[in-house]
Amino acid sequence: MENSVHLNSILAIDIKRCTGCRNCELACSAAHTGTFNPRRSRVQVLKDEVRNIILPVVCLQCEKPLCAGSCPTLAIAKNSKDILVVDDELCIGCKDCMAACIYGGIVMDPPTGRAIKCDLCQGDPVCVKACPYAAIVMLPAKPDGARERYGGIETLSSSYGLVKEEA
Amino acid sequence: MPFRYKGYAGHYLEVDLTKGKVNTREMQEEWARLYLGGSGVSARILWERTGPQTEPLSPDNVLVAATGPLTGAMFSPSGRMMFASKSPLTGIWAESHVGGFLGPEMKYAGFDLVILHGRSPKPVYLFLNDGRAELCDATQLWGRETNVAATMIREEHRDPSTEVAVIGPAGENQVLFGSITVDFYRAAGRTGLGAVMGSKNLKAIAATGSLAVEAHDMDKYLQANEQEMAKLSDPLWTESIASLRKYGTTGLVTMINEIGRLPTKNHWTGYYEHADDIGPEAISKQYRIAQEACYGCAIGCKYIFRVKDGPFAIGPAGGSEYESIMAFGSNCLNNDLASVLYMGTRCDLLGMDTISCGKTIGFLMELWEKGILTSKDTGGLDLSWGNTESMAKLVEMAAKREGIGELLALGTRKAAERIGGDAPMYAIHSKGLEASGQDPRAHQSVGLTYAINVRGADHLRSLSSLEELGYPEVIIKRFGKEKYEEIKKITSPVYKGEVIKDIEDLYALVDSAVICKYGTMWPPVYYFETFINVIPPLTGMDEWSSMKFVREAAERICHLRRAYNHRLGITRKQETLPKRLLSDPMPTGPAKGGLPDLDYMLDEYYTKRGCDLKTGFPKKETLVRLKLDAVAGDLESRGLLASN
Repeated sequence: MENSVHLNSILAIDIKRCTGCRNCELACSAAHTGTFNPRRSRVQVLKDEVRNIILPVVCLQCEKPLCAGSCPTLAIAKNSKDILVVDDELCIGCKDCMAACIYGGIVMDPPTGRAIKCDLCQGDPVCVKACPYAAIVMLPAKPDGARERYGGIETLSSSYGLVKEEA
Repeated sequence: MPFRYKGYAGHYLEVDLTKGKVNTREMQEEWARLYLGGSGVSARILWERTGPQTEPLSPDNVLVAATGPLTGAMFSPSGRMMFASKSPLTGIWAESHVGGFLGPEMKYAGFDLVILHGRSPKPVYLFLNDGRAELCDATQLWGRETNVAATMIREEHRDPSTEVAVIGPAGENQVLFGSITVDFYRAAGRTGLGAVMGSKNLKAIAATGSLAVEAHDMDKYLQANEQEMAKLSDPLWTESIASLRKYGTTGLVTMINEIGRLPTKNHWTGYYEHADDIGPEAISKQYRIAQEACYGCAIGCKYIFRVKDGPFAIGPAGGSEYESIMAFGSNCLNNDLASVLYMGTRCDLLGMDTISCGKTIGFLMELWEKGILTSKDTGGLDLSWGNTESMAKLVEMAAKREGIGELLALGTRKAAERIGGDAPMYAIHSKGLEASGQDPRAHQSVGLTYAINVRGADHLRSLSSLEELGYPEVIIKRFGKEKYEEIKKITSPVYKGEVIKDIEDLYALVDSAVICKYGTMWPPVYYFETFINVIPPLTGMDEWSSMKFVREAAERICHLRRAYNHRLGITRKQETLPKRLLSDPMPTGPAKGGLPDLDYMLDEYYTKRGCDLKTGFPKKETLVRLKLDAVAGDLESRGLLASN
């Protein structure tokens, strides 16, 4: 794994490997809040048991982030390591970023009412270590990494009928 | 003041369904210290609030829904919770555990446990959210199958992350083995707790929350947790864990048939020649579509399946476990895999225990074969072995208590009593609970496990996999080198009393913490040290650093549950096996000729447990040593203590 000062890295999730155990949420909340509280996790696993959909979502560290563009107080910006973060002091909890992000990569923190999102744990993401199924990896934001990111959603596409299923 | 110990949500809820009142109370220190949570705390509560006079389906009965300190605290596997009550099926101690996501969610919603009593005048469900609790109208949910009701509750609160425990039509109709379906396809199946909910007009318990579960010392706890998780990577269990991930518990169909322990034809034998037809490879090739896991679980034994077409088309849904495959498959001489999976899922949707349902169907099939039941009794249904069409109909009829379903809904013991004549000879149960998917004629210690299990004939309170899978290192470490040769012999009763007592103690903590049997029963990764390692940094209960204290807590829980049953009339006489498993030698298969030496094992077990050999009652000094003085006093006044 490349680990430069300027991270330029992304988290890629292979949803074929994800079992929906949500251990990433527990690890994330422990790292960021010092407690176990999955609603405060920066990575969220969405589930629809009736349709057999398990969909882990996390910030994709977009090159042109819709969340940042929608923020009226400019609270979302890249930090010195090139990681997109929310400035707690500036965030007013208006939820515009949530509405703007089409990937569900930014959520509201219930106790503070402020936006929270993945900060890649400043380069050493706890969710990657906590995943027992190796479904999350950190990759450099090069074309290869992006391809991997897209590869992960094949199963989802077939669930939605976008990809034809084999017999 | 926040609750002194961390790892707990810190509050519990009292629900009076008759009055429609909910009361939030602070968690009790003594419950945590002496009983940990789950099974232990439930035993304490039920001992105090129910007894011989409590009619299980009356408003007087108490239902506990409980978690433990490890629930939702990232220990793997700890996505579990449990329910406890007095059983309508057996009339004795009842507890049933379930995985999924509701247990952790209850804690994030602010509650370690919920105690329910009374009977609501109209259908209601309990909704827990961020420290608040509310009884909501369930009129629209009543009569719905479990997946529909759970979805409706999520929609009503506009919160798809709400986790739900719900009963189906079977529980509403008080089918005696009605179950509680959790998170769509997991079940607190055994002992009829769904019927208890039905009798209380309680359709569901739902929770969603954003409250934190704290640790006493988070860094130290995470470190301890990591040490324990590292044990899962020991090469000793690589194969077992790989099998659980690949096949889930369905892998057991093959493994258990190979040792002649797979209940076949209403437990007539332990070997099914068509086991491969309903085995792991067949499921994997034809119907399995995905792997799933409970909260924070690194093992991930759950699988999702779909039968696309044919008369048994169903899914996608959570796939049947080994026990359901045994109950609707080999036990009924049925090798039609799609029908087995179909009936398993129908039971989840109707809210019925697959083991008791399948086993009671097998029992009726044997009565049909023997001519004790005829088409006059069955309303024209042909109950020949393996008749899948009739079996599928019976499942629906049981849930509705229609026709012969009324008889089926009673479970084997009560159905046999009602039929009379020779019928009780074919009822395979202990203390009223249908035997699960093992056979003591192929595995001695299973006989003892079935006989002494506080909830009746099943494996989950003390099954030992040590001699089945032969982990020599584990046996030597736990019981010493000199006992290894005898313990590892699956057909030897020697030292099995000691082994089963030890494992019953271990599982008492597993069931109170609340964690899973995978990682403890199979493979046997965690032992008493695990609790010493993780409980103190998580909770701040320093006493749990002492092996003596931890062992005593385990014994205390076991003795309290036993005392609960003694008060209801259970003695050594009831701690036995059905005649077929006790005295009819195994007729076919690899374990041919086998029989358990139950008396030998019981003597050793009672001695190790500190009980009287003749009655099974505890000695007073045993109870006093375990700080159960009040329990000793109560039993003494009823003449239920060992006479010295």
